[in-house]
Amino acid sequence: MSTFTILYFAACSSYTSRLYEALPAPLPISKLYSVLEEKYAGITEKVLGSCLVTVNLEYVDITGGDGHDMIQGEVVIQPGDEVAIIPPVSSG
Amino acid sequence: MASDNANLTELATVNNFLTSGTRPAFGIPKPIITVGLTTSPLSITTVLENVKDPGAGAIVFFAGTTRDNFDNRPVSHLTYSAYPPLTLRTMSSIAASMVEKHKLTAISLIHRLGEVPIGEESILVAVAAPHRKAAWRAGEECLEVVKEKVEIWKKEEFADGEGVWRENRAGFVAEEGVVPGDLPKAPATDTTS
Repeated sequence: MSTFTILYFAACSSYTSRLYEALPAPLPISKLYSVLEEKYAGITEKVLGSCLVTVNLEYVDITGGDGHDMIQGEVVIQPGDEVAIIPPVSSG
Repeated sequence: MASDNANLTELATVNNFLTSGTRPAFGIPKPIITVGLTTSPLSITTVLENVKDPGAGAIVFFAGTTRDNFDNRPVSHLTYSAYPPLTLRTMSSIAASMVEKHKLTAISLIHRLGEVPIGEESILVAVAAPHRKAAWRAGEECLEVVKEKVEIWKKEEFADGEGVWRENRAGFVAEEGVVPGDLPKAPATDTTS
């Protein structure tokens, strides 16, 4: 099965109890949060709501995050892509 | 806790020193921009040497050090994690925008990762410009933008064993995997104004 890699940082890695994992690809970006919610109940409200998402190091717009119909022209995560959930930062 | 072990695994991939600049060889001009992430104690001398130049009459240097408390609650140590490829890219992009906006001759920006004992430096910033005013302004602005945008996460480990992921915006506390989700995202800083 084709997969992409998803990375979790900070509060997000605490919630999932892992730093990364492989998920099935392709996946429209608007379905990402519902896939994660299915695996980690409550994560959308407690973590993802304040996070940003990158695909291959570029920030992407998460629209239609309710898992409904695919939006025309939206990003589709491909096999081999590296996706990251970016919580609010705290450097310095 | 599982995520503590996970953070160590993550750091193993960061290794000792990642930088977009290169150590200047004799006779070759220094790079204008040096950014780095390291798990070792930070070297103030290195950061200053990175920006020193006969054409620069002013260097402003900033060191961020780890505090022993948060709101009077004792902190035993801090742990920083990052997403190195993205973190370094963001640091380079901020450095480049500071060079352009403030006409800097050089800028060096280094952040420490992993466990940082109390009282040690977690971030060093040095900026050099022909005159002091531009250097002061760039130094302050650089820090603000870095704290807002750079993909680095700080975990405060309290003396009682609890760990808290800190958020730079509005002094939020994200208790063990719980982040306030009902708050607006921080507005993007306009680095061109």
